[in-house]
Amino acid sequence: MTSPLQVSSRTPAGLLILIFVQVICTIFFATDVVTDFAESGLPSSGRYHLIVEAVATLSLCAAIALEVRYILNLLRRKAHLEKSASIATMAVFDIIESHFDAWQLTPSERDIAMFLVKGFTIPEIAAMRGNAEGTIKSHLNAIYRKSGTHSRGDLLSGIIDSLMAERPART
Amino acid sequence: MKRVRVWDLFVRLFHWSLVLLFAANALIVEEDSRTHEWIGYAVVGLIVARIGWGFVGTRYARFASFRPSVSAAMEQMTDIAAGRTRAHVGHTPLGAWMIYNLLATMLLIGLSGYLMTTDMFWGTAWTEELHEILVSWAELSIVAHIAAVIFESRRLHTNLPRAMVTGYKDNLPD
Repeated sequence: MTSPLQVSSRTPAGLLILIFVQVICTIFFATDVVTDFAESGLPSSGRYHLIVEAVATLSLCAAIALEVRYILNLLRRKAHLEKSASIATMAVFDIIESHFDAWQLTPSERDIAMFLVKGFTIPEIAAMRGNAEGTIKSHLNAIYRKSGTHSRGDLLSGIIDSLMAERPART
Repeated sequence: MKRVRVWDLFVRLFHWSLVLLFAANALIVEEDSRTHEWIGYAVVGLIVARIGWGFVGTRYARFASFRPSVSAAMEQMTDIAAGRTRAHVGHTPLGAWMIYNLLATMLLIGLSGYLMTTDMFWGTAWTEELHEILVSWAELSIVAHIAAVIFESRRLHTNLPRAMVTGYKDNLPD
């Protein structure tokens, strides 16, 4: 299957390099701000320069945080969508993910919930994640509690229902 | 849960000697002194010995057990992103990259420092600048290394700094 309707879920190396460069720049600017401040205190002449520099540094930090979050999301997606997936698969995947968003699952819970939807047993999930089975069970309890369901079947029904209604869950 | 001996005596002595010598040269010893030079040679000697041990040493000390791999590093990052806690007995893939980075940086610091003492390059600005940039890079790497060790110790529930002292990693899956 190599139809053009395939979506790659590769991690962009470019983004990793960008983060790396920004981290170096942030450290450079941050040390500059700190030394400037230590040298001059806050004289009226250098104040605006210092403020602009500090704001630039902080916005760089914010950008790095956002990029890291984006990469972590991408990696989470990649963990369940190896290689490339068709548009249809992606759409189903997106709807399932939007349920997880609505239930506010943690990264571990999302990972386990996705394995659950795919039909893996508790021992299988434990082996794949390197957890004890007890850990998986306590995560499962949290997933059922947050989603307001009581079993795997219950959880699946909710997701399939929303697939047939052609709208993602909004809680 | 089991306990595995991962770091042999050589690896542990190497690690902590490097910590002491690098810290001494970067933070304490006078830059233009003979002591600084001798410590520098000792660091290069340590690195060369470690590289040799990487071919003949015990199982987890060998380079063959932690080959540089982009795909393995991505896998480890995926584990982190998905909250998975699959254990690595020896070096983790991301940790392996840090080791190669530190080994190479230490060698280059030694080389640039040595060049500054030779007749040919004595007093040239670029060798000194290169030496200082490399040291800054090493310091940045060490901060990242320590942060990563703390992060991984918490994530995998294994006390990694203690493993580098005792040689044993705890809490590995059976």
